Amino acid sequence: MSVFVIGYYTLLLAVSCLAAFYNKRQIFMVAFGLTLVSFILGIVGGTAALQAVAICAGLLGLAAMVSFAFREFLIQISSAEMGKELRTAPMTAAFGMFVIFVYIIMGIFAPWIAPHGEAEVIASAFAPADENMLLGADQLGRDMFSRIIYGARNSVGLALAATIAAFVLGALAGLLAATKGGWFDQFMGRVADVIMSIPSLIFALLMLSIFGPHIHVIIIAVAVIYAPRVFRLTRAVAGNVVVMDYIEAAQLRGEGTWYLIRREILPNSTAPLVAEFGLEFCFVFLLVAGLSFLGLGIQPPTADWGSMVRENATLISFGDITPLIPAAAIALLTVGVNFVVDWMLHRSSGLKE
Amino acid sequence: MTKRKEVLLEIKDLEIQGYSDETWVDIIKGVDLTLHRGEVLGLIGESGAGKSTIGAAAMGYARDGTRISNGSIEFDGMELTTASESEKRALRGHRIAYVAQSAAASFNPSHKLIDQYSEAPLQYRLKKRIEAQEDAMELYEKLRLPNPQEIGFRYPHQVSGGQLQRAMTAMAMSCKPDLIIFDEPTTALDVTTQIEVLAAIRDIVDEYNTAAIYITHDLAVVAQMADTIKVLLKGEEVEEATTKEMLDNPKEDYTKSLWAVRSFKRDQKERPKNATPLISVQGVDASYTGGAKVLDNVSFDVYEGMTVAVVGESGSGKSTTARVITGLLPPSKGEVLFKGEPFPPDYRNRTKDQLRQCQMIYQMADTALNPKVKIREIIGRPAQFYSGLSGAALKNRVDELLDLIELEPSQYYNRYPSELSGGQKQRIGIARALAAEPTFIVCDEVTSALDQLVAEGILRLLDRLQKELNLAYMFITHDLATVRSIADEVVVMQHGKVVEQGPKTEMFTPPHHPYTDLLLSSVPEMDPEWLTTLLEERGVDNVGDAATAQIDPNDPKIAG
Amino acid sequence: MGDILGLIGKRLGLGVFILFVISIIIFFMVELLPGDIAQAVLGQGATEENLAALRKQMGLDQPALVRYGEWLAGAVTLDFGSSIVTGERVTTVIGERFMNTLFLAAYAAVIAVPVAIILGVIVALLRNSIFDRVANVVTLSFISSPEFFLGYILILFFAVKWQMFPAISSLSEGMSLGELLIRTFLPALTLVLVVMAHMMRMTRAAIINLLASPYIEMAKLKGAPPWKVIVKHALPNAWAPIINVVALNLAYLITGVVLVEVVFVYPGIGQALVDAVSKRDFPIVQACCLIFAATFILLNLAADVGAILTNPRLRHPK
Repeated sequence: MSVFVIGYYTLLLAVSCLAAFYNKRQIFMVAFGLTLVSFILGIVGGTAALQAVAICAGLLGLAAMVSFAFREFLIQISSAEMGKELRTAPMTAAFGMFVIFVYIIMGIFAPWIAPHGEAEVIASAFAPADENMLLGADQLGRDMFSRIIYGARNSVGLALAATIAAFVLGALAGLLAATKGGWFDQFMGRVADVIMSIPSLIFALLMLSIFGPHIHVIIIAVAVIYAPRVFRLTRAVAGNVVVMDYIEAAQLRGEGTWYLIRREILPNSTAPLVAEFGLEFCFVFLLVAGLSFLGLGIQPPTADWGSMVRENATLISFGDITPLIPAAAIALLTVGVNFVVDWMLHRSSGLKE
Repeated sequence: MTKRKEVLLEIKDLEIQGYSDETWVDIIKGVDLTLHRGEVLGLIGESGAGKSTIGAAAMGYARDGTRISNGSIEFDGMELTTASESEKRALRGHRIAYVAQSAAASFNPSHKLIDQYSEAPLQYRLKKRIEAQEDAMELYEKLRLPNPQEIGFRYPHQVSGGQLQRAMTAMAMSCKPDLIIFDEPTTALDVTTQIEVLAAIRDIVDEYNTAAIYITHDLAVVAQMADTIKVLLKGEEVEEATTKEMLDNPKEDYTKSLWAVRSFKRDQKERPKNATPLISVQGVDASYTGGAKVLDNVSFDVYEGMTVAVVGESGSGKSTTARVITGLLPPSKGEVLFKGEPFPPDYRNRTKDQLRQCQMIYQMADTALNPKVKIREIIGRPAQFYSGLSGAALKNRVDELLDLIELEPSQYYNRYPSELSGGQKQRIGIARALAAEPTFIVCDEVTSALDQLVAEGILRLLDRLQKELNLAYMFITHDLATVRSIADEVVVMQHGKVVEQGPKTEMFTPPHHPYTDLLLSSVPEMDPEWLTTLLEERGVDNVGDAATAQIDPNDPKIAG
Repeated sequence: MGDILGLIGKRLGLGVFILFVISIIIFFMVELLPGDIAQAVLGQGATEENLAALRKQMGLDQPALVRYGEWLAGAVTLDFGSSIVTGERVTTVIGERFMNTLFLAAYAAVIAVPVAIILGVIVALLRNSIFDRVANVVTLSFISSPEFFLGYILILFFAVKWQMFPAISSLSEGMSLGELLIRTFLPALTLVLVVMAHMMRMTRAAIINLLASPYIEMAKLKGAPPWKVIVKHALPNAWAPIINVVALNLAYLITGVVLVEVVFVYPGIGQALVDAVSKRDFPIVQACCLIFAATFILLNLAADVGAILTNPRLRHPK
């Protein structure tokens, strides 16, 4: 029995007892449940397993603290009304906002944050980490850490541009279809059906194989693939608004289509559309990452997370986690955005659940 | 019938909270209630009074997002607030049953009616399946459902609304419970269908001496059903008395005001001589794309400054007529004339001035006003759009309009619709119509979503505006009380046809067209003996769907 | 019943039509190639004679419409022409690989579908409890992770650190089923994790939606015990949404399988597609795309037909 193990159980039991004493049922169940699980883990996996649990718990605690502080920070700097909204955000959403914030800073200030250039060769291939290179070198001897920083700009930027393209295309078509109705609506609906019948990754591969892996091809391909999804949602959301009597009143007044969309429909569809934008971004980001991983994304030497995973994948078989870092960067941002979207969807759906 | 004075249900100081905006808010604030065996208690109040919540609480049930925070509910000596979930469950369906508002939504679409009937008796092992089914048929017969032997083997969507509601009453009766909660069982039904359900419910409750809590917002209905009436307002009791006492001699001001509504009545105007009608609907047929004919040769006139009420049950084509006049649904035959000139059938082909002449006020103020736009723009936009007003002139016009609808301009100018009450929203809807300076306004069930007192105010306002601005109204409604108070002429519609039309006084004096007669006689009256008298006069088999079906299309009065 | 058959027939017709439109898209998109296929295959340095010879060999001298007709007629009989890189028949290249992919997808589906639906129902019943919230965070995290991230994490732990399963799923003739299942365990597990998360969330949403129906409240007020409310009242109406969820996610499996095959070097059709794309071997690309799209459409079709068949309103018409 090491000091660590004794401390570990003492802490858990102390927390359990305190929670029980102060009648905090949930905290007690979590703490004591963890204690019981730890007994089994400790016997099976030894001290190492307990250490892993402690590290995980520590990380979760840190993330929670950061999220809490960041939410307070946002509440402080925003208006009273926004602040009230933000107070309803759960820890997960706050964590998501924090992650998005960090990525934005990383993307914008990449050249100032990164210690080396993204294509700069500074060491031998797969050189281990040292004081000069935080995460070691990649297969060509470029600084991994710098490339990850630059990746925020390139990978996220590309996904964002593609999402915006898909969104503008799809939302515009959806709003028009909802207001105009008739054959235009029918026709757009069928077009969306056909495009959505081709699995997205397959369709992207087809287009990239024909037109080659250039950035503008990727953006157009993603826009074509995801616009129908946005179209469907916008059509549904706007469809619910269009049946309202105030739209009929405006139509009978003789208002034009553009006025209807801008003043009557759009203000009543923003909440679901914003949430949908986040959701679409996640899909697009994962698709683009998948393409890069297959070697069909942003071409070298530009730093890009998906291709970085592929290039360094061989390290995995030596138990080195370096190739997992860019993959984790992708996952982290997607998780963050999803957390925020989840909260927004929950807010807009009200208390249905 | 003698009723044993034994207390069945006793609720004391009941408080219930609802969860909204991240906090718990009181929705029932200390209500007491005592119900004896075999007694029928009417719970009435306006929307949001908490009637339905109390009904559920009487079964020891709190809906999602609500909780019983204080008080006691004692059913036949058993305390429900502290009872365990399984103890409460053993009561439900067995000793306390529930009849919901929407039978169509409350029957499980996957099971036959009779299987849903026998579910509770089988579960409590009271009967075998065959016995339960025989029982069901017997009850179906008592409730005068057509084909009682066979109807139970249908699925819910194969049965009409009024029949489903009776089948649900039968289901509630399946274990012969001591208490049934009726939660607005006839609100979703048409008046002619309502009668058959009311008659069925009353018979069955009498026959088995079942106690009942009858929840409704309709005074006339509750007067037919209840022995005692309890009036609720915003989660608090206003007063309770026996039905007769309550009708003849209400004590509280609020109750009196409820009774006093519909006192509003104005003089009937005559058609001007030798004038062209403002709006003339001539031989209009219409159908929605691909569907059957919804309107069949509809013709009537609306003269300047007059109110024409269009009456009929759901599906009679009232609202479709309005859509034809406003140009939303171009007719397949016939035309609409405006001051003798043909109105383009599609609103898109109408000029700004033509569009301006004909405005519309909607039933649901909530969906008629854009929630994201401020009042000043809602009202100001038509003025800006048609008259080209802007800046100070526009602001003056909006102030003027707000004055006209009796709302203080400075207070409402910058508000959003969600910050207003139902009646205020409806007033804003009226102001928006007025802002266009029309001569003709279609009022589509404008008062039916409002509580009675508020509705009265809206009717008075519309009447005043008509006098001041010489407006013509087409008043679509299913409520004959509204017709009595505001109409000059009446058009009765059924199945897309006009069955009778003429000045109001003529319409309300016999002889009537048989359908008008049925419609008029089906509207419940405040007299507690009304239903009994009606049933005696017409016979129990001659109400509702049966009566509608009996109208002889070759009746001489129909031809005339 | 006539109603149902009509509806199903209509839906089938729509499926065939969409597949037809997709075949047009897949075929003529290649025609949009700058230059033509021969140019793309031989590159910029090719001589005119070589180009002409290749064009003749591939039938490029005929009008596009004729070639489309031939291609479609071939595709219907599962003959997609031959590879322009190796000259092999496309059918021989992808035939066996397609079976391998189906095996992997089925392996994942057999584990994921029942577990996900059961967990989804449990989470829906325990909604707003701690368990539900944890499940929400965990499923969201899995959905948000790219397949290759999960795949490499599994390799790192199960293959490299603990050496329980092989990192590379090489298949060989005459392998026993047990051996096969062990070799393909990690790719299947990766798919299971992602698809299960999706499916759980969708099942949860569908069930919660259902539990808000007035007839569920009615069943509770009739005194039905909770298990009966679920089994007798919710489940018969839940089939349509659940079938939908399953079909959607099986369709999702198809896309996921491409990335997973690359990570685990699994000899499936996804790998073949990726290889063909990088070599610009268009007949194979076209064939793979058509197969994937057809499977996708078939699954959606199955879901719609399932929903029609389980709808009581359609089963028992008025």
